[in-house]
Amino acid sequence: MSTPPASAQHRRAHDPLGKFPDSVRAAHQRYLDRGCVESVDVVVMAVVRDHVPKTIVLPSEAPLPDSARLVADLGFDSLAIGETVFFLEDLFKVRITNAEILKVRTVGELRSFVRQKLGAPRAQA
Amino acid sequence: MARTSRSAVVTGLGFITSIGTGRDEVVSRLRSGRGGVVPYDFCGNPNLAVKVAAPVPGFVLDSPSWRDWQWPVAYDLPRETIRGMAPHGVYAFCAIEQALADAGLQAADIGTPDTGLFCASAGSAMMLHHHVAELRESGFERGHPMGVVSSIAGTLNFNLAAHYHITGAVAGFVSACTASSHALGYALDEIRLGRQQRVIVVGAEDLNAETDLPFAAMRALSTNPDPATASRPFDMQRDGFVPTGGAVALVLEAPEVAQSRRARVRAEIVGWGQSADGYSVAMSHPEGAGLQRAMQRALGDAGVDPASLDYVNAHATSTPAGDRSEALALRAVLGSASRTLISSTKGLTGHGLSMAGAMEAAFCMLALEEGFVPGNAHLIDPDPACEGLRLPREATACPSEYVMNNSSGFGGSNVCHIFRRWR
Repeated sequence: MSTPPASAQHRRAHDPLGKFPDSVRAAHQRYLDRGCVESVDVVVMAVVRDHVPKTIVLPSEAPLPDSARLVADLGFDSLAIGETVFFLEDLFKVRITNAEILKVRTVGELRSFVRQKLGAPRAQA
Repeated sequence: MARTSRSAVVTGLGFITSIGTGRDEVVSRLRSGRGGVVPYDFCGNPNLAVKVAAPVPGFVLDSPSWRDWQWPVAYDLPRETIRGMAPHGVYAFCAIEQALADAGLQAADIGTPDTGLFCASAGSAMMLHHHVAELRESGFERGHPMGVVSSIAGTLNFNLAAHYHITGAVAGFVSACTASSHALGYALDEIRLGRQQRVIVVGAEDLNAETDLPFAAMRALSTNPDPATASRPFDMQRDGFVPTGGAVALVLEAPEVAQSRRARVRAEIVGWGQSADGYSVAMSHPEGAGLQRAMQRALGDAGVDPASLDYVNAHATSTPAGDRSEALALRAVLGSASRTLISSTKGLTGHGLSMAGAMEAAFCMLALEEGFVPGNAHLIDPDPACEGLRLPREATACPSEYVMNNSSGFGGSNVCHIFRRWR
């Protein structure tokens, strides 16, 4: 890869989880450091919650049910799904194809899909 | 719809600028002559000749990822809106929120077919560069879903129209340093023609290396490292402009609409004119021929004699050629012994490119409302081309009736507006 331009070198390091709670940041770090698969779920659920539009009111602390449908229940549009995928790819250093993501419709399916993608056992959906 | 008034009124103003992020602060800085130019490190390169700029305090937008951005907590910018924005989209959103509050309007009031949104920016070179580099790195297989709408010219209108559920006329203007003046002029026409009852106009620009340093390659930026003198329009020692970012928003309404809802009117826009130089891609015509025509057309459109102008906010950006050509154009239009006071507020703010016209139009309205004329900051030794022009160094008390704003841009584009004090 070529050397980034001076302006890019000058900029602050990008912190993708900078505005997420400390517990989510710590979970992501546990995954990066030790491959802790339980931590993946914490991050995925936080990322899904972050992409839910403001018009959808969710219980503040209750976990999202696995049955929740990204589009029909959580108000995702196709761009939000694309953003979520792009974000997860960067966080976990994986590549997800369109064909793969088109099969994912619910929170539980996304959770299982990311675990599977990272080589971890499937979550109990 | 029936043809309505010859004019439009401005009922709301919003300022996100280097000299203030609210009306009162901007008035105070225009009166006191305290500018927004500061030492500025664009890219960590000590060899860079450009040492100053005029950033907007309270905003940190120096990353291509919105997740790194910071803006004042008073502005509730939802994730589903910011996800598609460029940095100057954040400025513009905040300026519009301010302008709507100033106009006594709620966001819900503008989601009607009678309300339009005209935006001006050059797009975001920083975002475009970042997203294209990311695409290129993957052989163009993998790109961010919001890469296009957060980068290209039009990013302002795409995002703001969606956020505010605008269903009237929506357009973007890309005529560089005349862009938001074009937006304002066409907004006036939309209202005059009865096509819209209200139009939100916003001009905005990023401030960063990708947007501004290409102008250094044209020798258009000041290399004066002293913030106290780098931007000095009309001065013999001027050596280029100082870049700024931010946004200014205006709410234009048909007079009868504003009156029917008992809105407080800031000023009236009574005419505009435009004309091109037909001369050079980047340089102004040496005698400001196009600008003269634009001023005359604006005066004719408003039905105002040049002698009636109390104040002109000049475009003068502090470049040697541009300021000279505008001075000559002003002399030609106003006459050699004009009483009209003239100043360029870019000595305080720096040059905001696409946002300049909206910003300075709004300054004109503050001058009308508050009864003063901003001064020519840092003007010590006026260019002889300015002979006969009245260029106050400091802000001057001046109850004005008519004021004019000038804008000039690449390709020799010129736009002028005439504003009248509301009674």
